[in-house]
Amino acid sequence: MYVAQSFCHSLIASVIMDQALRAWKIDSPAIRQRFRLTVVLFPVFSFPLYQLINPDRGSVLFRLDALFDVNRWLNIEIWGVIPLSVVFLSLLALTSLIFLFQELIPILRHSLESQAVEQEGVRRQSNSFVEHASQALSIGAPEVYLIEDDELIIFSTTGKNPAIFVSTGLSRALTADEMHAALAHEIAHIARSRRPLLLAAFFLRMVLFFNPITLVEFRRVVRNEEKICDDIAITLTRQPRALAEALKKFYATRNPPEPDVQQKPLFATVPLEEYSYNIQLDSRVARLEQHAPYTASGRWLLHIIAFLVVACVNYFVV
Amino acid sequence: MKIRAHGFFYLVLTIAAVIIVLKTLNWLPTIIQQDTIRRFGSVEEVRAKTKIRDLYIPSYFPQSIMWPPSEILAQTKPYPAVLMIFNAANKRDVALIISQAASEAFSAHAPIQFAQISRTVAYDLKGRKALLDVGACKNDEPCSRISWVEKDYTITLTMKSPPFELIRIAESMLH
Repeated sequence: MYVAQSFCHSLIASVIMDQALRAWKIDSPAIRQRFRLTVVLFPVFSFPLYQLINPDRGSVLFRLDALFDVNRWLNIEIWGVIPLSVVFLSLLALTSLIFLFQELIPILRHSLESQAVEQEGVRRQSNSFVEHASQALSIGAPEVYLIEDDELIIFSTTGKNPAIFVSTGLSRALTADEMHAALAHEIAHIARSRRPLLLAAFFLRMVLFFNPITLVEFRRVVRNEEKICDDIAITLTRQPRALAEALKKFYATRNPPEPDVQQKPLFATVPLEEYSYNIQLDSRVARLEQHAPYTASGRWLLHIIAFLVVACVNYFVV
Repeated sequence: MKIRAHGFFYLVLTIAAVIIVLKTLNWLPTIIQQDTIRRFGSVEEVRAKTKIRDLYIPSYFPQSIMWPPSEILAQTKPYPAVLMIFNAANKRDVALIISQAASEAFSAHAPIQFAQISRTVAYDLKGRKALLDVGACKNDEPCSRISWVEKDYTITLTMKSPPFELIRIAESMLH
């Protein structure tokens, strides 16, 4: 019951939050992320919370007068043989596999690989920009490591001893301003990773590993996180164009070469992950070039209203 | 301010659309599959329109209970089940609930809830092993419940009264 209801609750929350963001023309990534986190987190608690409020939500009489009873659909038999619940369970199993192979394993691999890189990386001397930017965000300055690689790579590790890893290829490709912008973006990631809400969100998101709506919404949260860190980087460097230029250089290296006209279209297509990453980079560059104002908070009343709507409608979805 | 007001209007439209879509989606399965739970007007209609042949109805009713049932619900999918709700004769409160279901997952007793069960005893109901709960509902009203297995069904009677009348009603359902 928990599985089916949390799926329905997240789907309805997703639709309502999406429309609320559109209705109130909310563009700030920080506020958008807050709305989207509601979609990710609310269904984790909604079912037990509603049952606590009204233990009779599962009774036949409540279900009969509910707005939507998921059991009605799950009990339908396709051609009188296969219950629709089997199809639903297959969808959940597929989502679980996607979560496992596209989220959990890559995160574990990334954390192991970054440990290995830390051992191999050449430690740089203290960087005054990194120290200044970290101070501005009230965190200790992370170590910066240079790794021997011609690819354009920059990433950070969080935890007790946060660090930023920069490839030699990147340090050659970026100008000083662009490098500062890229470093500021990574420092913003490190600073935000210390926020307990985001950590809790990630662990609670894992509770609904089977939920396809949570999968999609969590990716949107992560995309928002990139934009939030872009905004923080701009407040540190005051140079949105430098960050945009740095991102463009990433975009250029990730863009595949022009497809060979002799090649079959099937082989000329860009992988879905790559495609979505490119779109994400593209939209980030566009935002930076438009100089979108940075708004980290506010719109709480609108968020509360949207949340109450989600909570009230979902109460009658069993 | 104008954007915000426009936004509220847009959100209200969205909520209305979500509710309409949910209601429609909730109604569609009853068209696709006619055997799911639904309301019936009478016991005869349940017999005529469902494949449930063994319908257990008491032949004895105390004067405090109003006949016919105020609500009758029945389903054959995912398992056969019938629920009858009876009001008290002098008021509109629910006084008796009779359910028969081929699964223990069938939860039907929302209108009569035990606040406290003071005794649970095994009871010999015309040769069937029944379980009798005696206690109190909200407002300290006496409540009792009896349930037993009859062929493929678990039959449960819940009543806002001490167990004496409940047992008589239950016995009148068996031959």
